[in-house]
Amino acid sequence: YEDLHTFELQAPTRVIEWAPGKRVCVAGYGWSGGNEILQLLPPPTLQAKETQGLCPERDFKVECGGFSNRPVYSLKHVPDTSLLVTSGPPDSSLQVWQVSAEDSDVIKSVSAIPTENGTGQPWAKIATISARAPWVLHGSRLNSVQITEVESRKNVYMAASRNSEELSGLAFLDCNTLLFCCAKGQLCLADVRQPQSPLEAVSVPPAPCGERWCVGVGRGPQGSDSSSQPVACLSSGGHLTLTDLRKTSESLASAKCRVPSPSSGAEFLCVSWAPALEGCLAISGFDGTVHVYDAQSWDSSGREAEPIFVHKGHAFGGWDSSGGPALVTVHTWHPQKPRTLLSAASDGSLHVWDWVQSCGKC
Amino acid sequence: LSFFCLGPGAGQDVGRSCILVSIAGKNVMLDCGMHMGYNDDRRFPDFSYITQNGRLTDFLDCVIISHFHLDHCGALPYFSEMVGYDGPIYMTHPTKAICPILLEDYRKITVDKKGETNFFTSQMIKDCMKKVVAVHLHQTVQVDEELEIKAYYAGHVLGAAMFQIKVGCESVVYTGDYNMTPDRHLGAAWIDKCRPDLLISESTYATTIRDSKRCRERDFLKKVHETVERGGKVLIPVFALGRAQELCILLETFWERMNLKAPIYFSTGLTEKANHYYKLFITWTNQKIRKTFVQRNMFEFKHIKAFDRAFADNPGPMVVFATPGMLHAGQSLQIFRKWAGNEKNMVIMPGYCVQGTVGHKILSGQRKLEMEGRQILEVKMQVEYMSFSAHADAKGIMQLIRQAEPRNVLLVHGEAKKMEFLKQKIEQEFHVSCYMPANGETTTIFTNPSIPVDISLGLLKRETAIGLLPDVKKPKLMHGTLIMKDNSFRLVSPEQALKELGLAEHQLRFTCRVHIQDPRKEHETVLRVYNHLKGILKDYSVQHLPDGSITVESILIQATAHSEDQGTKVLLVSWTYQDEELGSYLTSLLKKGLPQSTS
Repeated sequence: YEDLHTFELQAPTRVIEWAPGKRVCVAGYGWSGGNEILQLLPPPTLQAKETQGLCPERDFKVECGGFSNRPVYSLKHVPDTSLLVTSGPPDSSLQVWQVSAEDSDVIKSVSAIPTENGTGQPWAKIATISARAPWVLHGSRLNSVQITEVESRKNVYMAASRNSEELSGLAFLDCNTLLFCCAKGQLCLADVRQPQSPLEAVSVPPAPCGERWCVGVGRGPQGSDSSSQPVACLSSGGHLTLTDLRKTSESLASAKCRVPSPSSGAEFLCVSWAPALEGCLAISGFDGTVHVYDAQSWDSSGREAEPIFVHKGHAFGGWDSSGGPALVTVHTWHPQKPRTLLSAASDGSLHVWDWVQSCGKC
Repeated sequence: LSFFCLGPGAGQDVGRSCILVSIAGKNVMLDCGMHMGYNDDRRFPDFSYITQNGRLTDFLDCVIISHFHLDHCGALPYFSEMVGYDGPIYMTHPTKAICPILLEDYRKITVDKKGETNFFTSQMIKDCMKKVVAVHLHQTVQVDEELEIKAYYAGHVLGAAMFQIKVGCESVVYTGDYNMTPDRHLGAAWIDKCRPDLLISESTYATTIRDSKRCRERDFLKKVHETVERGGKVLIPVFALGRAQELCILLETFWERMNLKAPIYFSTGLTEKANHYYKLFITWTNQKIRKTFVQRNMFEFKHIKAFDRAFADNPGPMVVFATPGMLHAGQSLQIFRKWAGNEKNMVIMPGYCVQGTVGHKILSGQRKLEMEGRQILEVKMQVEYMSFSAHADAKGIMQLIRQAEPRNVLLVHGEAKKMEFLKQKIEQEFHVSCYMPANGETTTIFTNPSIPVDISLGLLKRETAIGLLPDVKKPKLMHGTLIMKDNSFRLVSPEQALKELGLAEHQLRFTCRVHIQDPRKEHETVLRVYNHLKGILKDYSVQHLPDGSITVESILIQATAHSEDQGTKVLLVSWTYQDEELGSYLTSLLKKGLPQSTS
């Protein structure tokens, strides 16, 4: 490690989201209510250009907090506003929160965005953008995907699909293009301006069925079209496929990761591209580790790939509430510092780490 | 219970702590700290807040000092000798031993180095300490007949304590600075389920999620290692007691594990003093230290040796721990001057440095220092700062509240606007009120005192005889008379109360007249009434007595002819106060008239 910070949250989180001003948001996912949504101010070490080891301030500061009765499974900040949107069981509705850091440190619940299907639906996956207005794209199944204007709660788009496939992720590729990833692995594209055209799968996973898939979308440099970035799909069996959305007929590259089969199904599967490190991506959710891969050398053979770094910190940590070993619930990259990641696990730990690149390439 | 905060300073992590608590008529001052950021009178609390014209000794019942840090005891000699207080001052034994050293050190910097005049003298420190009464952990100390105090282990630094102040059944717990996680040489704070009316907790780090000690130590060791590997020298200015011990243990273990050869030195004065105090107060350290101490002298490390002045000129890498901690004088400053010019070297400042000291200057970024004789010292060595201070974070505060189970919580040392979330969290989880007063603000907390009342055996027996067996979990409604006499409270039966008070018992009886149209003879009317009531009041005992009256339970009904009108009969319904309800019912029933019958 170049740098390593370990923190302990009072309750484990399965979301780590960056908010404006380099803030980080985390939230609890317990079933007995009283889950805390926290907006944290990271220590100056994370904000400085160079790594400073012995900095007077090495701690996270809880800037604001709120309470949620539901478990929070997904949290997204709404750009250009001081609002947050969360989702979680028991249904696919969304909760909207107001963060007003100057006046008080309480995150207040302001409204809810209900969905028609009601209870029993899986929790909604969410993505936000602020193009024509602050929008939230949400849905738990392909046929229930919609875009709602956050402040007015007006519906601006409904996907024309009769497919009730469960979604594992969705994203705005740009202000008009939507990407959906089904739990079974199919990827679908849609255009906001053409709500009537039916959604069709642009890519189907090569690996055997029965596995669950999740998606990670790259963030290109400012101004570039996100659809030019390959999309990474990770399966619960450890298969990683990269797809170029402009040429979806064949997968760009694929590899197999040496990971154990995840003990909790695919609940915490997470794959993400490094924003400042060309061709690198990270995966987690199988055990107490986070793997970082350099995908630039991959071909389409699906061979086993060696990670360039494995963060094992959480595996040496505590136990989660059910007595099992800690499982990494989520990870995210630092937007500017190339090799810095944040990861959280089911025992409440939150790590910030930066590894030493031995080969000197990245 | 009222709480008044004379300190601390706003927002900064080092303010001055000075709190006044009024509990059941007793006035206690908690801590008497100095604000390290100010050079003038603002560094001392404003004692005129307490009482404008009375003598402090008369007003205050006692002063309690939680630990030896200057922001908690720095103003004590000023308070007791210059402002004037002759009452008792309570603190733990280690605090009593170490306080004067720190106070003298501070006095030296302020007066000798900075030339201040309105400051306490060495003699004042001595006189002040004469008023100190040292206490042991968990020992109940009677300040006077009603006021008692008890100290609990607080971790944080050697001798730090949390205090419980109790008057009758009202109590307050003041935490001072505390730490809920043990470290290498001190244990964690602990308190029993004492259920105080108020818990006053420091909240400096309440909104902080602290980086683990392991990571801090890792970085500290990394920096030391890197410097030593490139042939540089590391200077760590320390105060004799406190983090120095932690760091020594840490380095010793690291050196052993990595098989490092560079020498580590500890200035002699430091070793002896520290050793002396740790031996003296061994029960205040943690289990591990105590075990180690039994086996060997704590400062007989394999890799750490006593320092000699001459070693500072030796070539090659080394690590030196030297006093004093803020680089303001003495050995650490001497070594600093020798090593400052070489960029391969490093100085690691262990904590807060008072303004005006070299430590403070270099931490603020100054790299050209003016020394005595107008000599300029260029600082090329690396300057690092590490914070190993042990305070409770939000999780720790919740833990302490869970342990003590207070009825109210008050947080000090925090920024009120930014603590609304923590306040809500505490209120939601523990269902207690949480206060966060500002400086100079008085907070009043109402307590529910429990007043014990003796209940007479006769009353108890009587009440238990009535009805079903009482459910132990449900409160039982009783009927008795409370007698407050000669400072005692007694609950007795009304009859006994009357007897004791020499009062005669009076019986109230009501009589009501009901007119009924009935031309027949009186005894026939009575029979009609009897049959009527018997028919309706099936659950009651209705009797027709030989003398012509009717009884319904204990209510009496008699019939007479109206004096002027033979066709009207007058029914007299008579009942005692206890039967009011039935009596009224009967009356209204009879007023409705009798049914026509052919009997």
